[in-house]
Amino acid sequence: MKIQHYLGGIENLGPVNVEKRVFVEPWEAQLFAVHTTMMGTGIWAWPDLRVLAESMNPLDYFKYRYYIKWLGGMCKFLISKNYISEKELEAKTKYYLEHPDAAQPNAGDNDVTAKVIDYFYTGANPYRDVAVDPLFKAGDTVRVKDMPPAAHTRLPGYLRNRIGVVETVYKGAYLYADNVPTDGICTAQPVYLVKFKTRDLWDDIPDKGDVLYNDCFEAYLEAA
Amino acid sequence: MSDDHDHDHEHHHHLRESETYYAARTKALESLFREKGLIGTDTVDRVINFFEHEMGPFNGAKVVAKAWTDPAFKERLLADANKAIAELGMRDGIEGENLKVVENVPGTHNVVCCTLCSCWPWPLLGLPPYWFKDPVFRARVVREPRGVLSDFGVTLPDESKIEIWDSSAQVRYFVIPERPAGTDGWSEEKLAALVSTEAMQGLGLATA
Repeated sequence: MKIQHYLGGIENLGPVNVEKRVFVEPWEAQLFAVHTTMMGTGIWAWPDLRVLAESMNPLDYFKYRYYIKWLGGMCKFLISKNYISEKELEAKTKYYLEHPDAAQPNAGDNDVTAKVIDYFYTGANPYRDVAVDPLFKAGDTVRVKDMPPAAHTRLPGYLRNRIGVVETVYKGAYLYADNVPTDGICTAQPVYLVKFKTRDLWDDIPDKGDVLYNDCFEAYLEAA
Repeated sequence: MSDDHDHDHEHHHHLRESETYYAARTKALESLFREKGLIGTDTVDRVINFFEHEMGPFNGAKVVAKAWTDPAFKERLLADANKAIAELGMRDGIEGENLKVVENVPGTHNVVCCTLCSCWPWPLLGLPPYWFKDPVFRARVVREPRGVLSDFGVTLPDESKIEIWDSSAQVRYFVIPERPAGTDGWSEEKLAALVSTEAMQGLGLATA
């Protein structure tokens, strides 16, 4: 079990950090640009990054700032896939620690830039126009399955075993990812917008009539 | 093990958890990418510029202002957001291939979150700010949304119900905040300036 899969509903955490900036250090923007380059050129995709985030020590997951976690994940991934070696990364890091104002090498492939910008506008739509026969229809009562633990999930832990009502059956099918280990979402399948009463999720909260919506892959649902 | 060794070890550990180290390591990554031809010399600047000027919360604010002033547009936006934003010459794309717009009205307030990671409607809002990615926000917002709203300085009327949207699959959610009173006849440009990123995810209110 991974705490990263069960964040929703944890109590006693204190106030939210209401930091409204996207980047709080200049290196974060640079790192982000390298990340989007990896996305736009097919080196990796969101599921790769999420698998790494979910495999972290849970205490570290709470401890480190968002992009610090990304930095660790990106380096680990790039080394494991042989895009770079640990040795050259360490040597370069040492060089920039000793020469913080040194310029970047005047080398590279400038065709990559247009590819990355183009990727921002084309995206990577998970929609698959395949024939599907959805198990559920709008208005059906469904139970969220308690899926076995996996390296990666898109099922928020607090919804497991809970009962909701199908609000929308999305047209067609959606493929989450087929290159990382998941709990049943590596094939294109129907996705449902499911509505829950938050009092049905936590019976000790005040009844304000609040509801919660979540998009559930079909593999996560059963008839209730 | 000598004291010196312990000291070196500790020093090494501290260094590896410093902003100086993160900055150097990031520079190292980009330079290796450059040397291997995996990135261009202008890619980093272009990407940063893109999110400052082309894909950012100014897009969402424009959509909200249009929705406030043109009820027919608002209906089309609520029905098919990707199609409606194209009317404004706006392009969708990454993390927004399937957008869904919801509307705050008196008595119903929408709040968007992503408890599993940081799903966010990029074409309309650019990149997610730190608060959205904060594990504390993600943990608390689904169970105690009013407490979280109060951390943002927002208090809803007692009778308001909250609808929470926890993004986990293909859809990225976006909120049209309530139009503030006293803004009749305002231009779309003037209205757009009232709309914060937070308001477009339900963690803020638009105020005049």
